[in-house]
Amino acid sequence: MFRINVKWCIGLIAAFALTASPMSIAQGDALFKAKCATCHQVFKDGTGPKLYEVRKKWEAGGAEPEAIFQWVKNWQVAVAKYDYAKSVESWSPSAMSTFPDLTDDQITSIFDWIDSQVEGGDAAGGATAQTTAVEGVEEESNLTWVWVIMAIIFVTIVLAIGGVRRQLKAAAADADGESFDPGMSYGEEFKQWAWKNRKYVGLAGLVIVICVVVTLFLGLYTIGVVEDYQPSQPIAFPHATHAGINGIDCKYCHNSVTKSRSAGLPTVNVCMNCHKQINGRTPEQQEKIAAIYEAAGWNPEGAGKYTGDTKPIVWNKVHVLPDHVYFSHKQHVVVGNVDCKQCHGDMTKMVETAKVQPVEELNKVDGNIKLTKATLTMGWCIECHKEKEVSLGALDTKKDGYYDEIHKRLMNNDKKLYEKYLEDGKVTVSELGGWECAKCHY
Amino acid sequence: MKMKLYSTKIVALSAITVFLLGSCGADKDSPGYEFMPDMYRSPAIEPYVDYGHLKERENMDSKYHISALVPPSGTVPYYGTDSATVMMMLPYSRLANVSFRETHGLYNSNLSMENEYELAAADRNPLTLTAENADAIFKTGKELYNTNCAHCHGEKGNGEGPMVASGAYVGVPDYANLTNLSDGQLFYSIYYGKGSMGAHGPILTKKEIWTLVHYVRKFQNADYGPGMTMTADTTAVEM
Repeated sequence: MFRINVKWCIGLIAAFALTASPMSIAQGDALFKAKCATCHQVFKDGTGPKLYEVRKKWEAGGAEPEAIFQWVKNWQVAVAKYDYAKSVESWSPSAMSTFPDLTDDQITSIFDWIDSQVEGGDAAGGATAQTTAVEGVEEESNLTWVWVIMAIIFVTIVLAIGGVRRQLKAAAADADGESFDPGMSYGEEFKQWAWKNRKYVGLAGLVIVICVVVTLFLGLYTIGVVEDYQPSQPIAFPHATHAGINGIDCKYCHNSVTKSRSAGLPTVNVCMNCHKQINGRTPEQQEKIAAIYEAAGWNPEGAGKYTGDTKPIVWNKVHVLPDHVYFSHKQHVVVGNVDCKQCHGDMTKMVETAKVQPVEELNKVDGNIKLTKATLTMGWCIECHKEKEVSLGALDTKKDGYYDEIHKRLMNNDKKLYEKYLEDGKVTVSELGGWECAKCHY
Repeated sequence: MKMKLYSTKIVALSAITVFLLGSCGADKDSPGYEFMPDMYRSPAIEPYVDYGHLKERENMDSKYHISALVPPSGTVPYYGTDSATVMMMLPYSRLANVSFRETHGLYNSNLSMENEYELAAADRNPLTLTAENADAIFKTGKELYNTNCAHCHGEKGNGEGPMVASGAYVGVPDYANLTNLSDGQLFYSIYYGKGSMGAHGPILTKKEIWTLVHYVRKFQNADYGPGMTMTADTTAVEM
């Protein structure tokens, strides 16, 4: 912070040293923000070129002193009148707005303000604060492999020692001139021992069989449970930066969530709405964003332009439901008014790529209905349909919403059942047909 | 000789053990075992599924291709029988400028040589505000705005959304400085993009964009409501 202040001071002193008065610089600041900042930045090319010391650039290019003023007021007139203006016209295909109302003094004050800026001052202050938020994910080492290798080494040593013992015995017998009697093999020795202690061996055998069967059954229960499934992605997308720090709504990128059964992956077009300007501050970020540019066919050099040479990004699907389940995001988000975090957890804190959040994590999120069954299993759906209330008390039969209609039919068909539903003071999804098999399986 | 055979056995045994245990390790990109794999992946086309690999067969023609097909050109979605709505939802008549090919990547669209942004100044908002629908339009507008615009333009429309506050993005205008734009130009800018802003036509319907145009006017004039229209020259005037 201190360093930034010092830089600012140097910048201001430098500005005072130049001819411009502080009054006009302040005016230039306000004018730049109101008129120019939408397209121009001081030190970076954007929709328009960077403007730092642009007057010197024009002078060096041999432009008449009045040419740049004419350009700001109406660039088309300038192009017709001045050769240098004509040469810079092709910098970008986007046409600059015209500002006929600006006076020469105002334009001078804008340029004075721009030239008084110091690179890496104000803007970079925010930049460093941002980069710290995105940190690398700690690599989790796989310990199982170590155990497997150690077990193999152990077994090898035991067998080798046994073998050596045998060989030595044979060699010793050979040396003594006796014929070597290999005696019983290990298998026969074990058989004899087992028969001697058959009571205990039998009991141990029974315990082992029961253990194996129980493990097998527990193993079968984990089939089709995908909690913690986190496939690799072509671009390690940090939700925490986008939805957390930058406050982008889930529904902006996953925009078909209110219109379709699939929440949708954003097209690269949506990425480019921001990333046309944001190209990353750390080399790691730049590498990831370069992958978006490649997909969009965007060449970021100079003003930047689309080449038309696009390439799909092949993401890995995270939440995979079996084909025999019909799930609609639209139904849940629009009609059911379910928040994204009920099923996907708090993505504003998710630094790693997306994963199927285990139910324990989901239960920690404020405002979520607490569930017990594993995420994305049928038990989990059923449980939520039982808990989630459509309304407290009776529904309004005058409205024409989805649930109001179901409710109206229920009231007309079976009044007694309806009164039973209202005993606990709320109407849940399951009471309005959320437990019907054909709701999801058809 | 016998000893050598013995050690070969050990090596073979440990190799098999390593292979068997190794195959237990889960593939990170596979969700794991399923009870009935063909019930998980049926031949019926689903979104976001790569059909280049189906039933253990590789099909290079459809690998890395989007499973959903593009509707035939000229297809118009069905929006009921209300003629006003249908007219509003017909494809946008104004084309993007040829320069949008390079600046906004519109390579597959019909493009115009003319400056249709200027021509769009004549377009009127077909979503007329009345005393009955105004509240509903502003309410929907607010929801749409907070989802699609507020992260840059700010909840108050002053160009200071969380994207700008975090220092990630610069150059978002304050709507208060854009009163010289007509409704049609606002629509054109949202639909095709303007300057740094990208096209939002693909993610919003035309009705939603016109709703947003009404809501943006509310930032420029707190009294904006039924019976008012914004002209290209100054601010809201009574009709």
